[in-house]
Amino acid sequence: MTILPTLKSLTVAAAILASTSALAFAKDVTITVWAGGTGPNDVYRLDAIDIAAQQLERQAALKGEELKIKVEKKAYSGWDDFKQALTLAAEAKTAPNIVASGHEDIAPWSQAGLIVPIEDYVDLDAWPLNGIYENLLQIASYNGAVYGIPQDAESRPMFFWKPHMKAIGYSDADLDALPQNVQDGKYTMKNLLEDAKKMQDKGVVQPGYGFYPRPSNGPDYWQFYTSFGGTMEEGGKLVFDKAAMQRTYQFFADAVKAGVTKKNHIGMPGDQWWKEVATGKAGIWDGGTWHYARLVNQEGLKDFFGNVIFTLIPAGEGGKANTLTHPLVYLLTAGHDKEETDIAAQLITIASEPRINALHAVKSAHLGISEAESEVDFYSADRWTREATERLLPHANAMPNNSDFGKYWNIMWKNLEASWTGAKTVDAAIGDAESELKGTLGDKIVIR
Amino acid sequence: MKSSRRLGLVMIAPAAIMIVLFFLLPVILTAVFSMTNMSTATGISGGVYQIAPNSLIILKSAMPDIAAELAEPRYAIDEAGLKAVEGLGLAHGIAAELRAKHAGEVFPTRREAERMIKDLAERPSTRDVKQISEQFNRSAVNTRFDSKEELFSALDTLGLNLTLEQKEAVAEATYTGWTWTTDNFSRIATSPDMARVLLNTALYVALVLTLFNVGYALLLAIWTHYMPPAPASIFRGIWLLPRITPVVIYVMLWKWLAWDTGFISVLMGKFGYPPKNYLLDTAYNAWFFVVLINGFIGASMGMLVFSSAMKAIPKSQFYASEVDGASRWQQIRYIILPQMRWPILFVTCYQTLSLLASFNETLLATNGGPGNATEVWALAAYHTALRNYAGNLEYGLGAAMALVLVVIGVTLSLLYLRVFNYRTLVAKPLIED
Repeated sequence: MTILPTLKSLTVAAAILASTSALAFAKDVTITVWAGGTGPNDVYRLDAIDIAAQQLERQAALKGEELKIKVEKKAYSGWDDFKQALTLAAEAKTAPNIVASGHEDIAPWSQAGLIVPIEDYVDLDAWPLNGIYENLLQIASYNGAVYGIPQDAESRPMFFWKPHMKAIGYSDADLDALPQNVQDGKYTMKNLLEDAKKMQDKGVVQPGYGFYPRPSNGPDYWQFYTSFGGTMEEGGKLVFDKAAMQRTYQFFADAVKAGVTKKNHIGMPGDQWWKEVATGKAGIWDGGTWHYARLVNQEGLKDFFGNVIFTLIPAGEGGKANTLTHPLVYLLTAGHDKEETDIAAQLITIASEPRINALHAVKSAHLGISEAESEVDFYSADRWTREATERLLPHANAMPNNSDFGKYWNIMWKNLEASWTGAKTVDAAIGDAESELKGTLGDKIVIR
Repeated sequence: MKSSRRLGLVMIAPAAIMIVLFFLLPVILTAVFSMTNMSTATGISGGVYQIAPNSLIILKSAMPDIAAELAEPRYAIDEAGLKAVEGLGLAHGIAAELRAKHAGEVFPTRREAERMIKDLAERPSTRDVKQISEQFNRSAVNTRFDSKEELFSALDTLGLNLTLEQKEAVAEATYTGWTWTTDNFSRIATSPDMARVLLNTALYVALVLTLFNVGYALLLAIWTHYMPPAPASIFRGIWLLPRITPVVIYVMLWKWLAWDTGFISVLMGKFGYPPKNYLLDTAYNAWFFVVLINGFIGASMGMLVFSSAMKAIPKSQFYASEVDGASRWQQIRYIILPQMRWPILFVTCYQTLSLLASFNETLLATNGGPGNATEVWALAAYHTALRNYAGNLEYGLGAAMALVLVVIGVTLSLLYLRVFNYRTLVAKPLIED
């Protein structure tokens, strides 16, 4: 009779001891991840963190720790909503642990203290981070510190609809040589407008469909500025090259004047644009490497390589053929417990491993982030990622990480749109851009 | 008497609190924000002092030597650092090996210092490496100081010997937060596009207000006034539809009508016209649709106000006028319109203010295009404060633009009250004197 209570209390004591010792090793962590510009092809931007969490849990188990990571994911299809939501959440101290966003956000977000340098948490000399292309890591850096880990790379080529090119006299051999001719500066923006016009004159495309550029604001338009000899930043200062910008504005004004681009092209519904470029309604257009995934997966373009050829953005007067890479980067937000941020950083590191990153690259038609990734059979066996990587990435520029670049961009875009639609003459648009840049950025921008 | 007055104050308190919180405070905050250069980059809650290479670019021209010195990151394996490492409670051999092999060495970057630490015999984990390297950090690059004092003491520790003036200059150049400024207003005054946006706004308000919110609403009210009650109610009900349809769906319907794959294009296609985006084709087209879209929504409210006001006109006046042989036009001219003064004042004033601030229909329909032709002030303020591709939202400038709108609204309200002679409208009836 007396042994029972003793046994009982012993059991309770053992249970308490067991639970506390389990507590000492068990850790439940919730990591929240947000990603902007994430459509159905980009799911691995978030899912890679899930995969990484499983790996990290196993690693912890081997060390005798019971680590449970719950990954909460949130995808934003657009950019405006996402950036508003993220900045406001961060100001209200409710930011997610990890955020995948464009590299250009690093400058304003780090200055405001919304993000912390990832190099404080990871070993950049260890695999897989030491294999990431050096220029991509540069793009993810600001003020000499690495703030983000590139989540993908891409570039923004010029696309040509092959049957229409043949209709205006290009042979298969000519088309095969086109990418090299563009790269060598033998095929220029001038030729592009001429070909677009020929397509219309021959009746293979409708008026306004010869050259069918991106119908909304985006980094693509900086490629044209580079193409016409423009520089975005030099020695940490923004640069507004008036002559190059004038040639850029003039190019679009000329395209409208020649009737190969619609005056009311900007602002058209995205769905309509996608459908039209996927069905050969347009002759020549620019877009991102990830367009391949959308055209093939969502828009029903079955024989992509039979119908489309892609090149660098051709050189314009005073510039060179180029393309722009706009990597998304994984960033760590400030205001979290150091240990949690450390786990988030480890998740990003694991998610950057070639095989895991290749899932995103192939599924979304973005480009890989490291040499090792291009050697993964799954990646290199994919014709699109292989060709786009080889042909475009070596010529890719990036936009500057400068906290004032957004202001410059707004003014540049507003005046481009105005000169495109004829609301202002090109000269007036350049004049207005210059005076507004002076008033807004003062000596933070070099105007020449 | 006294207690009833107090009770009155208590009774009004909730309303007063609501007014202050939700009506007065936003305007005051807008006014405060408008006097700052607040943006995403500066943060809202204030900034810190960070000696970042980029912020030193400005300092470079004024004090090149100091700027260069400040920008220099240094990792020195000195005795103080070694002591600190000993205090971290890591494996004992780490500090000993560092002292024996690397004492006195200086590394230009953290990465190089960390590479050395990783090569130690007792290879520390990544987290420990970071902790160790931090003990040898002898530069202030990218360190964030919460206050000026912390920054100044860090500058002293670096042994730079700066005068107070120089320190202040460093503080000014390295401050990351927002500052008070009137630049927003000078930007508004000097930007070539702002005048255009203001003109757009005046055009937009004037057209929608006169053509639809007051003009067409009055017309509808008069038409339905002379209709039998049943069809009149049905007619008014139909006119309410744009008002009660969710704005996104309502604008989408217009897009289906006017876009190059829409109804008008399909119809015109039958007559051989190529499809085109009628909505964004030209500035005139865009304006035509913006005015229609907003007007059809706005007309319903005026119609309801005007028709109920007409109902309040004693029937006997109409009967008497008919006995006198008055025509419909004469009834409208001499009976209805004179008694509509107060409702017209109300609708004009109210709708002016809501049109000044409204932009969601325009945002969804044209987003200010083509070429900013339909960019109205409220939409421009929204674009400035809450939309930027590169993530740097300009709250300060946006607030200044919103404040301009508030000032215009208040001025117009006062003007309306004067024009419509509000004082006589609310004059006490003589009978109570």
